[in-house]
Amino acid sequence: MEFLRPLSWEEALALRAGRPDAVPIQGGTDVMVEINFEVRRPGALLDLNPVRELAEWEMAEGRLRIGAGLPYTRLIEEVGDRVPGLAQAARTVGSPQIRNRGTVGGNLGAASPAGDCHPPLLAAGAQVEVESAAGGVRMIPAEEFYLGVKRTALRDDELIRAVWLRPAEGPQHFSKVGTRNAMVIAVCSFAIALHPAERRVGTGIGSAAPTPLRAAEAEEFLAGELAGEPAWGRSLPDGLAERFGELVGRAAAPIDDVRGTAAYRRHALAVMARRTLTWAWQDRLAGTGRS
Amino acid sequence: MTETIRARAMGRPLERLDGRDKVVGQAPYAYEQQVTDPLYLHPVQAVIARGRINAIDTADAESLPGVVTVLTHLNAPRLTGDGDGDDRELWVLQSDEVHFRGQFIGVVVAETSEIARHAADLVRVEYERWPHDVELSADRDDLYAPDKVNAGHDTDTDVGDVAAALADAPVVVDHTYRTPMEYNNPMEPHATVAVWDAGGLTMYDSTQGVHVVRQRLAPLFGLDPGHVRVVAPHVGGGFGSKGAPHAHNVLAGLAAQVTGGRPVKLAVTRQQMFSVVGHRTPTIQRIGLGAETDGRLTALVHEVVEHTSRIVEYAEQTAVVSRMMYAAPNRRTRHRLAALDVPVPFWMRAPGEAPGAFALEVAMDELAVACGLDPVELRIRNEPDVDPESGRPFSGRRMSECLREGARRFGWESRDPTPAARLRDGWLEGTGVAASVYPRIMQTGNRAWVRYGPDGRYEVGIGAVDIGTGTWTALTQIAADALEVPVEEVRLRIGDTDLPEAAVAGGSGGLSAWGSAVVGAARAFREKFGRHPSAGDEATGTAPESPAAEDFSMYSFGAQFAHVRVHADTGEIRVPRMLGVFTVGRVVNPRTARSQFVGAMTMGLSMALHEEAVLDPRFGHVVNHDLATYHIATHADVQDVDAIWLDEEDPRSNPMGIRGIGEIGIVGAAAAVANAVHHATGVRVRDLPITPDKLFH
Ligand SMILES: Cc1cc2nc3c(=O)[nH]c(=O)nc-3n(C[C@H](O)[C@H](O)[C@H](O)COP(=O)(O)OP(=O)(O)OC[C@H]3O[C@@H](n4cnc5c(N)ncnc54)[C@H](O)[C@@H]3O)c2cc1C
Repeated sequence: MEFLRPLSWEEALALRAGRPDAVPIQGGTDVMVEINFEVRRPGALLDLNPVRELAEWEMAEGRLRIGAGLPYTRLIEEVGDRVPGLAQAARTVGSPQIRNRGTVGGNLGAASPAGDCHPPLLAAGAQVEVESAAGGVRMIPAEEFYLGVKRTALRDDELIRAVWLRPAEGPQHFSKVGTRNAMVIAVCSFAIALHPAERRVGTGIGSAAPTPLRAAEAEEFLAGELAGEPAWGRSLPDGLAERFGELVGRAAAPIDDVRGTAAYRRHALAVMARRTLTWAWQDRLAGTGRS
Repeated sequence: MTETIRARAMGRPLERLDGRDKVVGQAPYAYEQQVTDPLYLHPVQAVIARGRINAIDTADAESLPGVVTVLTHLNAPRLTGDGDGDDRELWVLQSDEVHFRGQFIGVVVAETSEIARHAADLVRVEYERWPHDVELSADRDDLYAPDKVNAGHDTDTDVGDVAAALADAPVVVDHTYRTPMEYNNPMEPHATVAVWDAGGLTMYDSTQGVHVVRQRLAPLFGLDPGHVRVVAPHVGGGFGSKGAPHAHNVLAGLAAQVTGGRPVKLAVTRQQMFSVVGHRTPTIQRIGLGAETDGRLTALVHEVVEHTSRIVEYAEQTAVVSRMMYAAPNRRTRHRLAALDVPVPFWMRAPGEAPGAFALEVAMDELAVACGLDPVELRIRNEPDVDPESGRPFSGRRMSECLREGARRFGWESRDPTPAARLRDGWLEGTGVAASVYPRIMQTGNRAWVRYGPDGRYEVGIGAVDIGTGTWTALTQIAADALEVPVEEVRLRIGDTDLPEAAVAGGSGGLSAWGSAVVGAARAFREKFGRHPSAGDEATGTAPESPAAEDFSMYSFGAQFAHVRVHADTGEIRVPRMLGVFTVGRVVNPRTARSQFVGAMTMGLSMALHEEAVLDPRFGHVVNHDLATYHIATHADVQDVDAIWLDEEDPRSNPMGIRGIGEIGIVGAAAAVANAVHHATGVRVRDLPITPDKLFH
């Protein structure tokens, strides 16, 4: 197996274009496991760690641009207050060691339906910045990024450069159910982000369908029920959170597997949706959690 | 009664004598033993569950630079014997037959472990597939009764008339309980380094017993036991899975014969461990309890269905716990096996008692609910005066005291028995109790020597093994007390077959057996040389069985309490507190003993909530064969786990007054958690592990 070490982003893109069989590696917390378990044996590894800018973040055009190679630990510490949903999800990833190595870019690249970053990225309306030497930069909305189990919209010659998110405009929450308390793949997960300016609530569902997805019907339902300024300043109408939860549960297409049954997943999603909406709304009324 | 030695060092929380070496990395484990110019092994495993190898092509593997040779059944050295009985697990590379998926069918010998592993992938195998069968169920028509179950227990027992008693009982609890296939997963994977030269075979092995490895392997390799040396100074856990040699030891022994004397190193990978070093069988257990309305048991039925491999019979003694635990006049126990195309099951911490007590102790909780009785009180009411199985008195059975003391410390008296009645911040709270038991086991065949050295210290030698439990320290404490000298004057030597014969570190009986031999040697030494020996004086002693063993039934007991919180909406389960109270005879070293109790209780928590190997019936392999997917409790799952023990000694057991502590902590722990989950939620889960989805039916 060849080990390619580009020293700059341009070189990385050039190598990527020339070696479609090369597998990018950032933290390696997915890639190395796959190699160890002989899930795959790529012809080459394209090590992105020397490309320093990937591990940085910046504010640009009023948005946060989080480099694909920024480890979770730094993400939590350095920008966690501006992307609380993503930071909450990042805190549940693996263990401290995994959070020191693992990255959002790697989570996107792996595109596991259970990846913890996906629901908050969907809920926040994030965009994925990808680039290739030939095609230049593309901005892919998170909801168009996931195509199937471990399949993404990334083309063979492209690399993920960053994710873009607006600093939280309202409260955000992430919730995950697992069969143990740490080092656990989600049985299912849910993220919510309030977008008060747009009078809308964003959602993201994890580990309950072939891809992470938004609960579109649930979002529309809330937008309808909470139309107009006054609704956003009052307590949630009775039964609203419950109905929202049901719609989120319905949006999923879960399966039975070793981590849990499909029926349990739907139930848990409904619960998490109801809970996170209630928390977020309380935050909003209390004036905490940025709004 | 044996004469006990005076406890001066015993009972003190001495720090581990090997602690420093371990922390700084100077304690060599098997794979780290320094040998000259070693070669590395990587096994080739079968990818079918049953069949025959038609062709095996090693050409590509052998042409890889750095590969020395590839051994298969076609060219491996022959083993001695007929490959029958228990040897069938060890009958490696001797035939073209495949008996379970993951079986070793070849091994690469190479200059580096990476090359060996790479080459193993290049071996191409053509199989003739035969249908296989790995599915356990209670209604199979081929279930059979083994002649005996593990540890020599009877397969079935019948006392009184169970059918009539159940029919007459005003209160009956009759349910089926299930425990899944489970894996020992010690921290240190199995590893062995083998050297075959003119002197015979030397093996540095990660084992619970150097002598048992020698006894089993020497005849297979056609060697006199004197020409096999096994060395194991430090071992990173075993939980039973290292209690006997497995196929990898034979593989290394075979490979070492073809390398012209160069040592070979074999480290079993975590994934390979799910096929070749044993596991706990899944169990399907029916418990039927008949009782008077005051909770007094009139009938106890415990019928078990479990699996064994087709090549070696291993029958877990799951129901034996129900033979002696409670004073039910009518009792029936059964063990039935399904022989399947699965890897060979073997000991896992408290084999028999751990799964058996889960079922029995949950059933007892159900009986308490059915009788409207406190579960602590129910157990105390059913305490037998003598061992119900043998009719002998117990050497010590302070079970009721454990229950009462635990209840007092746990705040049990204020417990409202109503299930699903305590909702706090969205979490349902509950508490549960279960009893623990483990037999005092005295293994035979133990010898030790004591030598007086020129430095004025006593060297004490026995071929015991410290598997991480603290033997280096605790056995030194026993030797010091046996010789009536401070621990600083004792230099212990263990972990080598050059030292006298010693039993395996198993059955919670290692320290009992070895300690007895050390006491025997110390007494012989003092008799011969008095208190002022000269350098070079030496005496040996053995470990005779205690005369009281004929007349008394000897067990350790305990009571375990668990507090759980179950999220009312999601069913997530947390265990904020566990407490175990044990009566185990004397505790030699409170520091290391505590680790055994707390570690075993944690393993019980893990059994309750997490551990489950998923066997794919289509392919016959364990799907979650790694620690990412075979869940074991993490730090974040374990909160306040505490263990205490009653102050006592059991002079009937042995001269140290000890009964053994390594396994009892896992017995009953899962039941305590399950009972607490019921108290919290009102949902009775009889099927381990208890996962959130099982709370929503
Ligand atoms: C013990 C353990 C626990 C874990 N727990 C969790 C958990 O709780 N939740 C969770 O979501 N995940 C978990 N994971 C998975 C993993 O840690 C995460 O998916 C992590 O985000 C991967 O990041 P990485 O940088 O290590 O990715 P890598 O392993 O380096 O790469 C992952 C994938 O992304 C691709 N890739 C990486 N960077 C780029 C790029 N810039 N452009 C294009 N493709 C790229 C790689 O080719 C590969 O396909 C766990 C893993 C382990 C080993």
